[in-house]
Amino acid sequence: MALIEHLTVPNLTVALFFLGLYGAMTQRNIIKTIISVGIMDLAAITFFMTANYNDGARPPISGVPVEQMADPVPQALMITAIVIGVSVVAMCLAMYMRVAYRYGTADWKILIRRLEK
Amino acid sequence: MNVLSMIPLLPLHLLVLMPVAVAASVFFLPRRAYQAVMILATLAMALFAVRLFIHVRWTGEITELVAHWPRWVAIRLVADSISAPLVLLSAIFIVAVLIFSIRAGYTDRTFMFLVVMLEAALFGVFLSADIFNIYVLMELGMLTVAILIMYKQDKQSVYDAMLYLMMNFIAMSFMLLGIGYLYRITGTLDLEGITLRLAELQDPRGAIVPWAMIMTAVALKAALLPLFGWLPRAHGAPSAPAIVSAVLSGVQVKVGVYLLVRLGAVFLPVVDARLFFLAIGFLTSVAGFLLAIAQKDIKLILAYHTVSQVGLIVVGLNLGTEVAFWGGMYHLINHALFKGLLFLTAGVIIEEYHTRSYNEIRGVLRHMPAVGIATLAGVLGITGAPLFNGSISKYFIQQGLQGNLGEIGLYLINLGTILSFVKYATILFGKPTAQGRPARDPWVAGISLLFGLACLAGGILGGPAVALIYGPQYAATGALSGEKVLTFFLTLAMGVLLYRFVVQRIGAFLQAVRGFKFSFNQVTVFMTVFFALLLGYGYVLG
Repeated sequence: MALIEHLTVPNLTVALFFLGLYGAMTQRNIIKTIISVGIMDLAAITFFMTANYNDGARPPISGVPVEQMADPVPQALMITAIVIGVSVVAMCLAMYMRVAYRYGTADWKILIRRLEK
Repeated sequence: MNVLSMIPLLPLHLLVLMPVAVAASVFFLPRRAYQAVMILATLAMALFAVRLFIHVRWTGEITELVAHWPRWVAIRLVADSISAPLVLLSAIFIVAVLIFSIRAGYTDRTFMFLVVMLEAALFGVFLSADIFNIYVLMELGMLTVAILIMYKQDKQSVYDAMLYLMMNFIAMSFMLLGIGYLYRITGTLDLEGITLRLAELQDPRGAIVPWAMIMTAVALKAALLPLFGWLPRAHGAPSAPAIVSAVLSGVQVKVGVYLLVRLGAVFLPVVDARLFFLAIGFLTSVAGFLLAIAQKDIKLILAYHTVSQVGLIVVGLNLGTEVAFWGGMYHLINHALFKGLLFLTAGVIIEEYHTRSYNEIRGVLRHMPAVGIATLAGVLGITGAPLFNGSISKYFIQQGLQGNLGEIGLYLINLGTILSFVKYATILFGKPTAQGRPARDPWVAGISLLFGLACLAGGILGGPAVALIYGPQYAATGALSGEKVLTFFLTLAMGVLLYRFVVQRIGAFLQAVRGFKFSFNQVTVFMTVFFALLLGYGYVLG
């Protein structure tokens, strides 16, 4: 099946990335846009994790012969990226709480209208 | 020179780590001392940056492999003729703004911590030659900037900061996906290594997708045409402290411009996008001054004007001739000086007059002479008046232009700049609208006048200043020729007339333009469109 062959992890993560982008473009609810942005970030991270992956590769822990090791670079980098992503999303949510308490809305458009008053 | 060479030459990683350590130490310092210690520490970092700059300029560039890992594995730090001046600029800028705000009420420990952390992020981005390191440090800068924007937490600053953070976070996700693609294709993260591998690729077109993704992120950071929606909100945020706006407009936005040059060079084997960015830069510049003219809020006039000037810098950098390139680089420094100055003084003026509307502020020159004179110097610099620094860099950029169409474009940009600053300069003259005696603050006056003096010095030195900072020698005497001076005054007269008889009579139209703000969803759509445009350009013309 041609379709099944295209359903690899990298392709799916790219699709997920653009799904998140679609959410960020269309959703008026602030929480939903934050979730969309988080999805985009996680999709990019998952995509990066699969870089240079060979079938049967083993985790890069001592004791594994070098030839069988998976590329350790993406894993090391993505731990950093995950931490950054978590903190940015947390900060977005914290800011949203402030805005929501003050203006009492979760909608971008209503928020702009209330800001201009 | 002799005294300066006694300063030890710090390894590059220490130069990045030192601000982090200094910033963290602020929480352990006693209440009375922390401000002085922070200023002295940033001053020391500025001296180290001077030492680094001198070494790079006269001895040669410095490369460092972090932790002595072998080449291609290690994170590489490089100080070369482009990054060393920018490190120097940001170091001096941060010291200057910290001295400026000695008596301001908002410089508590957390604020100092954030400013010095931002300095670390700036140093790191300028010095890294590893794309993932650049990504991480840009995220660090983004977070600190977001907190700085909403620092006073009043009015709508939290909303502005949230908008800034989310738009930039989307851009950074684009960049992360692009880096992932790039790593998959080339197997390295080192900028030089990427260029080498890309040149060897069987099918170089495969690298167009990551190029487009990374460039979308960088273009948003540099606030190019459809993506500048966040900039006026962040830089002109009504309640952001004056020095935050100054640092953002003076140095932070230059990170995007710098990466446009750096990463553009990395992808040169695959796609040469100079034409694309030339066009986008021009359009950005025009859109920026049109929106600036329409604003009433003096901080927003300045913020939209930053968009316009960034466009001009990008035009200079992408014209393809060397003299225009260095003109663009020089304009980058000049813009930091005069726009930093204007934002600093705007903050003081707003505090004194208790309003942000340009038509309620009059007589700054008489009411606050020092601030007024400094503002005037900044205005003269930005409009490219003869003898001021703007004239030199604009002259160099113009040197790179061939054909009439380009020159007309540049005149248009210049006319727009002058027009928006004729509007801005109305706050300087007339009868003061503020009552009482202004607070006398020698630090504010001193730093403002120093910035103003730097604008003048950069213009009088002209060509030699470019040679001192970057190396290449160009004669700038043409910038003072009778023809140029005459052109400036003619454009100025035209600007005043246009302002008097056109701009002041189309209030309703300007009102409509002012209401033209991008929402979060729209900017995301623009980002997707920009990405598609880059992709199309890469595949069709690249």
